[in-house]
Amino acid sequence: MRSQNKGQIRIIEAFLAVLIIFSSFAVSANLTTTQNTTKRDDLSYTGLQALMKLDSDGSLGKYIDEGNWTALRDALNLILPAGTSFNLTVYNSQMQQVNTAVISNGALNNQEIAFVEYLCVSQGLVFRCYIIHLHLAVAS
Amino acid sequence: MLHNPLAFGGGFMKRKERKFGSNNSAQLLIVAALAIAILISATTAYVYELGKETNGTYNLPISDFVFAIKQTTRNAVISSLANVSNGGEKTLLATNLNELSQILRNLKQFGIWQLSFAVLDNLVYDSGIWLSWGTSGIGVSSAYADFTLRAYDIAMNSTVNYAVNVTTTITVSGYYTTILGIEKVVNLTCNVYNEGEPALAQNITLFYENLGIWVPIDSSNNFSITDYGNGTYAISFIVTTLSNTVQVSAHLRDLRGIIVQANMTCYEG
Repeated sequence: MRSQNKGQIRIIEAFLAVLIIFSSFAVSANLTTTQNTTKRDDLSYTGLQALMKLDSDGSLGKYIDEGNWTALRDALNLILPAGTSFNLTVYNSQMQQVNTAVISNGALNNQEIAFVEYLCVSQGLVFRCYIIHLHLAVAS
Repeated sequence: MLHNPLAFGGGFMKRKERKFGSNNSAQLLIVAALAIAILISATTAYVYELGKETNGTYNLPISDFVFAIKQTTRNAVISSLANVSNGGEKTLLATNLNELSQILRNLKQFGIWQLSFAVLDNLVYDSGIWLSWGTSGIGVSSAYADFTLRAYDIAMNSTVNYAVNVTTTITVSGYYTTILGIEKVVNLTCNVYNEGEPALAQNITLFYENLGIWVPIDSSNNFSITDYGNGTYAISFIVTTLSNTVQVSAHLRDLRGIIVQANMTCYEG
């Protein structure tokens, strides 16, 4: 009977150990996820602000209307903080790619890639609506 | 001494039971160890999957996206007014806003967005458009629409009401002085406003009326324009007319492509 009790106590101890290990895993994983999300949110916010700044005077729509991808890339390079890599894709309202050249300042090597989707209407005489996908990463 | 076979048998059984009990305890410990291993593996796998799922998503404040959509709707109103002021149909504003609303509904990146609108219809606005290109030296091209933006997300639902008013105004004032017979020098001051704030013009074209015909003013009229950079333009040109008054028409395109016109009568100053 005593030896049986001993066995049960061992099992309880083992389960307590499991609980401790499980809680430590859960806490540490949660902390890591929060930090990563915050970094991505900051980058997303920066990207959204950059697109809005370009769009405020109609430049964004004008570059796209004219197909001036070099000017668009240069403008983003100027607005985004130094050391930020980006890759921008422009789609029309039928989700067909509009940009005929790559609008990027380098490869997105970092694991932390932020994404911004932006709806742009050009101020031109003809109503044109573009869906912009901007991927951002901190250059490693 | 006689051995009791039953007593012998009972002792054997007790030893066997004890042996079996200790064997069971070891097996249970192995099972518990396996359970620990499975739990750790499952936890690690779960944490890994959780990390993968959160990659690429973000939780920016909804106000940032609302601000971005407000800007998009504003651009749509500017585009529509530019088209209408260039001779397009007034119903174009509602058509374009309908299309924008449809496209926005199809985007589900930040949740579900629903944009509804009402173009202004009153004494001056027709289908959200007001073009007043009068003879008193004031010209107005304006578009107005009320919007309701609803955002449906897992975390929260939000409704934002806002209005977009895009107005380009031009005021023209001036006089003429006779220099020789029927030759007159006309001096005009032209002010441009976007939503009531001074704004720049992309180009200004001027006409004057001679014998019922509107004649464009060009370099042959000694045309000169001074841009003060604050939405004020000083214009001077020479016309040849028998009339005691000079009818002038200014056609202006602002930086957004919106056209506005204003006519006025110049008297000798």
